[in-house]
Amino acid sequence: MSVKYTPVQWNTSKWVYDAVMLAGIALFLWLFISVAPGALNHEFPVNPPIANARAFGACAFVMLTVILCIGPLARLDRRFLPLLYNRRHFGVMTAAVAMTHAYFVLGWYFAFFRGAERWETVLFANTSYGQVLGFPFEALGIFALLCLLILAATSHDFWLKFLTPPVWKAIHFLIYPAYVAVVGHVALGAFQSRGNETMAAIFSAGALVVAGLHIAAAWKERRVDPHAAGTDWVKVGNASDIAEGRAIIARLPDGKRVAVFRHEGQLSAISNACAHQNGPLGEGRIIDCIVTCPWHGFQYDVRTGRSPAPFTEKVPTYRLRLEQDEVFVDPVPNAPGTPVEPVQATQEAMP
Amino acid sequence: MSNRDEPFFVGYLPCPPGLRLFLLAASLVLFAGAGLLGYAIASTQDDPGDGRLRFDFGPQTVIGVLEMTPSPVLHVTQGTDAIPEGHTLMLSGQGKNGAVDRAQALEGQLVQATGILLQRGGLDMLQLNGGNNFRAADDQSVIPDIPEPEPLGRWEITGEICDGKCEAGAMRPGRGISHRACANLCLLGGVPPVFVTTQPIEGEEFLLIAGEGDETTPPALLDYVGLYVTLEGDVSRHGDLLVLTVDTDTVTVVE
Ligand code: HEM
Ligand code: FES
Repeated sequence: MSVKYTPVQWNTSKWVYDAVMLAGIALFLWLFISVAPGALNHEFPVNPPIANARAFGACAFVMLTVILCIGPLARLDRRFLPLLYNRRHFGVMTAAVAMTHAYFVLGWYFAFFRGAERWETVLFANTSYGQVLGFPFEALGIFALLCLLILAATSHDFWLKFLTPPVWKAIHFLIYPAYVAVVGHVALGAFQSRGNETMAAIFSAGALVVAGLHIAAAWKERRVDPHAAGTDWVKVGNASDIAEGRAIIARLPDGKRVAVFRHEGQLSAISNACAHQNGPLGEGRIIDCIVTCPWHGFQYDVRTGRSPAPFTEKVPTYRLRLEQDEVFVDPVPNAPGTPVEPVQATQEAMP
Repeated sequence: MSNRDEPFFVGYLPCPPGLRLFLLAASLVLFAGAGLLGYAIASTQDDPGDGRLRFDFGPQTVIGVLEMTPSPVLHVTQGTDAIPEGHTLMLSGQGKNGAVDRAQALEGQLVQATGILLQRGGLDMLQLNGGNNFRAADDQSVIPDIPEPEPLGRWEITGEICDGKCEAGAMRPGRGISHRACANLCLLGGVPPVFVTTQPIEGEEFLLIAGEGDETTPPALLDYVGLYVTLEGDVSRHGDLLVLTVDTDTVTVVE
């Protein structure tokens, strides 16, 4: 949340986050390249460029797997939210590790050919696109790498603003096709070349965890959010269920989510989707009179849907009505940033 | 949903005390997991075997009569400690290059060749040094006869089409699907193709694949490089080297 874009806005959380991430990467590569070969005890070990390529490729796969687990984990248990906070650094680092993998591969398998450069040879060395065994699995790696590079290049909030959130979100959805391509890349390449099934087992387990967590998180969300019915004013819950400084979330008939907050005994309704990256505002809380998004800490006044000056983010607001303790919302959103008079809750929040 | 006591993390504020232990534990799990996975995945790598460039022998200089299949092979008449007289030695250039261009003018002559030996078990090849290190021998007065090829009939065999240079040790590992595109480039560059068999043929674990016209590798075989295949072909013995002329219609991938 900035009006002036700096390359990275650092704070202690980000330093700690990056330190843990870099330490993990260093440990992974060190054990892969320098320690494990000693235990394998091959008389003539794998050539260093191949060992490096494998280490960085495997590292990028593991990183991508972890990244894709963070989202659903945070939906399932909110204590994982801090892992989401700086996920973009994780993503940029993954692109760098994957790039290093490609660099070693191109500099070894695809170099030393007279008459063509390595980025050309990688395109024509194997063109058996019609077969499964022997498929040019490198092409899937190239696709995934391009996706990761696009995501890394557009990860900064400048691009989010410039491209507009819907376009940015659509682009960042590329992470899923990229992951599928990487799974194909290893399934048609490395798995077929190993004399044992252990590698395939480890990687498949990773991909299954990603799929499983996404299904679990979607399922939980389906059960938790009350589904408001009708197109007229819709009931979204009870005022007494809303704790001071918090919200309840409900799904409206059009599929969008609304967050109804209680602030100093008064109720206000805003869109649940943060203007930054669609973070769930209703899972945030009111700090110093403004709601703070649980993902990256963007803030909004719940009565207006506007970020406090000097910031300019806006989210849609909704009109509210109380009947005894029952909260009703007009499902037609107001334009982002439209002030709405809060409604006095008649009942105290349940403790 | 609105659980009051849950700690709330805001990135730019200090971490709430209730979350510190959880995040410390999560960091440790991620760190340890990274180490465990790095070690475990690295441990799935197979032994790439003993093929290697024999820099330890130093450059080898041999003299012999040059035959083209059209991959160049040398029937050695004057060898070294590592390359005995009477051996049929496959030749390649540096990088992903064969030695066909340099060999063409020398076919049938007595040739002097200097290079580095590549060796994996019984499979070996000489990587020729550049410049004047592959040329007609000074004394051409007596050119010994090339041994007459001895036909060994038609065979059905199972194994893998490899580029002879990487398989002999230029790369470790130098075969399999991961290496397939690399092998294709070597073969396009004129490196001699070899068929590595699963069962020995006449005591040999590999055969040199004969080319087609000027092509050192029959083009139809490029789709099958690095895969486990069966094929039929005529085998003949050239000196101590088996040469396989593949019937390219018979190649099938073994699942
Ligand atoms: C230009 C793009 C890429 C190319 C040309 C490429 C090529 C290759 C090649 C040739 C191998 C086989 C290495 C061997 O076993 O000897 C390989 C393995 C692998 N690649 Fe890629 N790749 C690319 C991008 C990627 C990306 C973006 C990822 C992941 C995010 C990735 C993950 C892997 C993994 C996990 C392996 C298996 C490593 C192992 O054997 O332990 N690759 N790649
Ligand atoms: S989504 Fe990033 S702060 Fe709300």
